[in-house]
Amino acid sequence: MPGTTSTPELESVLEKKDGGGGGSLPPTGGGGDDDKKRPNSPSSPNRYYVGMAIGIVSVLMFFMALASAFLVRKRGADWAPVHIPALLWFNTAVLLASSGTLEVARKRLANSDTFGFKRFWLVTTVLGVVFLAGQVVAWRTLVNEGIYLASNPASSFFYIFTGAHGLHLLGGVAALIYVAKRNFDTAQLTRTVAAEVTSYYWHFMDALWLFLLALLYLGK
Amino acid sequence: MVTHDEGGDASSSTGSGFLSRVFSTRHKTIGLQYLWLSLASVLVGMVLSALLRVHSSWSDTAIPFLSGIETTPERYAAVRLLHGSLMVFFVLTAAPQLGFGNFFLPLQIGAEEMAFPTLNCLSLWLTVASLAGMTASFFRPLNQGINVWLVSAAIFSLAALLSALNFCVTTIELRTQGMTLPRLPVTVWAWFVNAILSMLIFSVLLAGCTAVLSDRLLGSNFFSTAAFLAQQPQNLVRQGSLPVLWQRLFWYFAQAEVYVAMLPCFGIITHLIATFSRKPVWKERLVVLSICGVGLIGFCVWGYHMFATGMNPYAPLVFSVLASSLGIPAAFLLASWLGTLWDGRIQFTTSALFAIGFISLFIAGGLSGIFLARHDLSRAAVSEDFVIGHFHLVMGVAATFAILAGLFFWFPKLFGCRMNETLGKVHFWLTFAGVYCIFMPMHWLGLLTQSNLLPEAQRVGLASAGASIRTLVTTATIWTVAAQLLFVVNFFGSLLRAKKAEENNPWRATTLEWSIASPAPAENFGAEAPVVYRGAYELSGTAPYEFAPQHISPELLAQKLR
Repeated sequence: MPGTTSTPELESVLEKKDGGGGGSLPPTGGGGDDDKKRPNSPSSPNRYYVGMAIGIVSVLMFFMALASAFLVRKRGADWAPVHIPALLWFNTAVLLASSGTLEVARKRLANSDTFGFKRFWLVTTVLGVVFLAGQVVAWRTLVNEGIYLASNPASSFFYIFTGAHGLHLLGGVAALIYVAKRNFDTAQLTRTVAAEVTSYYWHFMDALWLFLLALLYLGK
Repeated sequence: MVTHDEGGDASSSTGSGFLSRVFSTRHKTIGLQYLWLSLASVLVGMVLSALLRVHSSWSDTAIPFLSGIETTPERYAAVRLLHGSLMVFFVLTAAPQLGFGNFFLPLQIGAEEMAFPTLNCLSLWLTVASLAGMTASFFRPLNQGINVWLVSAAIFSLAALLSALNFCVTTIELRTQGMTLPRLPVTVWAWFVNAILSMLIFSVLLAGCTAVLSDRLLGSNFFSTAAFLAQQPQNLVRQGSLPVLWQRLFWYFAQAEVYVAMLPCFGIITHLIATFSRKPVWKERLVVLSICGVGLIGFCVWGYHMFATGMNPYAPLVFSVLASSLGIPAAFLLASWLGTLWDGRIQFTTSALFAIGFISLFIAGGLSGIFLARHDLSRAAVSEDFVIGHFHLVMGVAATFAILAGLFFWFPKLFGCRMNETLGKVHFWLTFAGVYCIFMPMHWLGLLTQSNLLPEAQRVGLASAGASIRTLVTTATIWTVAAQLLFVVNFFGSLLRAKKAEENNPWRATTLEWSIASPAPAENFGAEAPVVYRGAYELSGTAPYEFAPQHISPELLAQKLR
């Protein structure tokens, strides 16, 4: 790459060698300076993808810390396993379905079918809200059975896992609403990019829920 | 979702003064705000440390205005907690990474702004809220105060996560044309690696704080049951210690936090040593790799804090090996600094003095770290004074020296004038002598009088012998704190003096921030983004030019030579 583009630079290198005598000269050319447009022009959507990827790692770390605490704490003598309410399986199916409808919505958007996009996007949002409502109902079932946050370590972990996940998913629902409502005509961020970034987060929340459910189910 | 706004353009056009200036989204304003925050914290924290020393030497002396503040054990612990929180969170974490980083990261990579300006503003104000919370917790009764402290720590973690995200994305995405990874200044590498590390560990602290808070406020059972401790091998669980699981999560964060404070300092020191020795960084690639190594290993060594608590018997060896292997990147860094200084034409400015002082403190404090990292030796060495001496030298004071070195170096770019060199040098020597007089004797105190290996009777005898050392330490502390007045005078004096037009590049440095006016103009590089042609440390003594800034094209450089 430098060999073809940097003839004048090479000349100057030679000039200086003659004039100054010795000394290693700075490497010129090199990767990255082919005439691409300024990378930090505000229109570049890459920052949103990278930002979301890094954010996901960070959220993952939060749950991994709790999960490792769960595994250590499980060995305690005061551990009384919580049975998982049957409703959780229904909720899981709802959440999985919402990931599907989200993808359908994005496909519609790619085909510039705005109406179809809005419809499926709304379905996704509703499914997300149904999941959250289902989680609250599951909590109520447990409370009616006399299993509270403070009952024992296992119940504490059950509530904090579902609660923290629900809170993160609530953020996802807010993002879905934001993408649906915001006027993207004047913004540098396009709806396609916003929808894609939101979809990363949503699918991640989906996968995270499967992980947590497996942890709660197998780890009891 | 993050909205992209044009970094406070609105504020400059409307000019509607105060509010938009205070809640600015510009990276330079935010960087300065962090630095002011740190300055306030460091001054208060320092006074508190003097207070603690006075109390431990002459416990019955009443201090005017402050009597009663540390008289009960509970209040004494609260003063220690406030000192530690201010220094660790708002000075060591905030100044080198968030203060200098926010101001200079975009400048050094040729960007106009951070990637997410609004997020940046949000994380600054979360940090301020956390500072207010931690200070407020000091004035509450202990039980309540701890809850407030935990909430503040959680808020700080959130703020740190947001700014780490911003740093990562900015470094990855917003580098200007020609700023390839090998050409990044070492400072940028350090900020970047540090942001990745922060990203991982502050999540853990957030999780830990959430769980502890839920235990304390909602009565859940994450850490609070004695049954868990009963399960552990009895000989390893010391009575009266905190539940081990919380410690494990906390140290997971806290050990890495040491590197969060140190990594940007490594970057700053490497940068300054090269600039003031007028030589390229010796083995630059290796330095960058070492910085990555410190980040990686630093993330894995939390276990060695558990030596003192007791943990699974096979684990100490693993962590001991890991902790000792931190010596490898640390030794590389040290070798590079010394190699860069070697045979250089060193300009002994105040900034260079503080940088060299950092190296000295890093060696001195690092050597005692070897005692603590070995699981067999640490039995003898783990004692309050030894550990305090160790981590204050290597983390607290060394990092403060790096911050001061950076401040003296970047002051023209921050404020458009230089600090007084003579005052600065006097301040340096007084502080340098002072901190050695404080923390070296503390090592002896710990080894002599508090060693766990000595029989109880002998320890009591030795403790009284340590009294004179203790007095020396306290006197030196008061002396060193008083010497900081010189810095305060220098700092504000320089700011107040009439601003002459400062030259763009007073230190003849190579990186991009020196290509623009001093103080840095609002629009950074203006309409045209800079183009980078070479590595960050072309300070060759042998080449035909004395130094080659990154943004000067080879053609232009050749013209200048003729």
